[in-house]
Amino acid sequence: MTATVSLERASLRYGDILGLSPTTFELPAGGGITGLLGPNGAGKSTLIQLLSGLLPPSGGDVKVFGEAPFRNPAVLARIGLVPEGDRFPVGLRGHAWLRMMGELSGLTGARLDQAMASALAAVGMEVNGKKLFSEMSKGMRQRMRLSQALLHDPDLLILDEPFNGMDPESRLQLMDLLRQQAASGRRILVSSHILGEVAQLTDRILLLFRGRLLAEGSVAEIRELLDRHPVELRIGAESAQAVARWAVEHDELVALRMEEAGAVLAVRNPRSFLPKLQAAVLSGELPLRSLDPIDLNLDAVFQFLTKDHA
Amino acid sequence: MPIYAPSLPPRPALDEGLPPALVIARFDIRRVLKQRVGRFFGFMFVGSLLVQLATLYIRHLLKTQAAFGGVRDFANQVFTQGPEFHAGILTMGGWLTTLLWFQVALVGGGLVARDSLYRIRPLMYAHPVRPLDYLLGKGLFAAGLPFVILLPFVVLPWGMSMLIAGNNGPISPWAPLYLLPSALIISLLMGAVTLGASSLASSPRAGFGWVLGISLGTSALGGLLMGLLHESAWMAISPQALVRAWPALLCRVSEPPLDWIPTLIGTAFHLVLWTYLAARRTRPSEAVL
Repeated sequence: MTATVSLERASLRYGDILGLSPTTFELPAGGGITGLLGPNGAGKSTLIQLLSGLLPPSGGDVKVFGEAPFRNPAVLARIGLVPEGDRFPVGLRGHAWLRMMGELSGLTGARLDQAMASALAAVGMEVNGKKLFSEMSKGMRQRMRLSQALLHDPDLLILDEPFNGMDPESRLQLMDLLRQQAASGRRILVSSHILGEVAQLTDRILLLFRGRLLAEGSVAEIRELLDRHPVELRIGAESAQAVARWAVEHDELVALRMEEAGAVLAVRNPRSFLPKLQAAVLSGELPLRSLDPIDLNLDAVFQFLTKDHA
Repeated sequence: MPIYAPSLPPRPALDEGLPPALVIARFDIRRVLKQRVGRFFGFMFVGSLLVQLATLYIRHLLKTQAAFGGVRDFANQVFTQGPEFHAGILTMGGWLTTLLWFQVALVGGGLVARDSLYRIRPLMYAHPVRPLDYLLGKGLFAAGLPFVILLPFVVLPWGMSMLIAGNNGPISPWAPLYLLPSALIISLLMGAVTLGASSLASSPRAGFGWVLGISLGTSALGGLLMGLLHESAWMAISPQALVRAWPALLCRVSEPPLDWIPTLIGTAFHLVLWTYLAARRTRPSEAVL
């Protein structure tokens, strides 16, 4: 069975700048969600541009449904793209814009009306879809973007940072919707720079950093990889010595730095270390006043992984 | 807000539906029709057309009614008949073309610039829309707008002349054969300049500035070169001058503002330059996600 997406040493250059290093991976045929994870500037949008046929690869092969997507209407007709940020002219009503997008996909007449009604209903915008874009909330505009991608019943749905600016409730609703779409046989690629978001949605992740595919695998595998990254925790306590005494007894400790109002611990595998810390605080063994993770962010993790893989 | 799985109709086949260029052009037409600027110019153009028709009718009266003999002699001195009169139908002494330049600058300046500002093009290209479709759609609108406006200025006075005086009316029965191609060339020229200027701009306002800048700037430059080099052909670098020259040339005015060769070269230059720029600026590689 032909893979939905397959890249074979595909790369992209913007002049002298390498946007995407030679990258090889496959997304299998059939429904499912794949997370595209990476910090800002990692090459996520570049990869999405290659997949959605906006740019040809500078080297290697990009295949979507077995064909090169660049300027290929047969492939583009099967892709739904939800780009990041607003894409609407001011002073325009949602349904007018949606109608044009539907017509660009070849829908007309009653089929277009039916597709618009279904797509708007799918994202819960049956009523608000007729509003001016300037009157819509950020979450509503995001739903409109998604509805245009669903209009022509695509087999591959590509979403670029879809959760940006959404409130928690809208976020959960969107996740539900994406799960339903995947269950109905659509392949979905969701880009994000927040691991937690993607982890809630999918078990398959592509990890990008500085234009190259760093890791590919399940969330558990990626988490295991991330656990090797020493995380710095600043622990505020009445006695820094007490913190140090407690910390050195644990295998996860990599480095220790004393400060005036506590200590900075560098620990591996925070998922096993933090419950121990919690238990020590609850039992009164550790006189903790504050806990501040210093570099528990994706950028730091990526930098660690990059060094690790150099 | 409930969310449930949609029951979408099946995906359309590739050859189904309207051509993307028509969809894009129609979308822009609908947008303009809702704008107040469209209504204002509509009023101005209809007013100009009514003035032209009224003038034509008065001419007819002057010619046919003996009671207006004295006025007729005076009018014949003021309004020359023949090719100059025919060419003037499309320019109205420069008033109509100037108004038209403002109209295309205001409406057309944002054609491509708006899509650049709101980053709409990548989304369009992610559909089965080729860059050529996009350019055609925008070009259709950019050139179609001035043509649709000029069309009644050719057809209605001619029809009225034929109705009230037949072959002996103030407008020759063959006038549309010269005036319609003139209107078409004017429209293509204005459309190309608008499209190119709008593709260079980053916002509709900037697009308006670019169109007017090109139109007025090249006229100033042409005038300067003409003054310095004592050669009127230099005015052919100005689209404004070319727009005035075409009706004069095709209606065979005795002293056209520009000769055939500079007009042809100037027109070809502007058509190629601005269309090329628009094509380059609307390539998918320029459409950043």
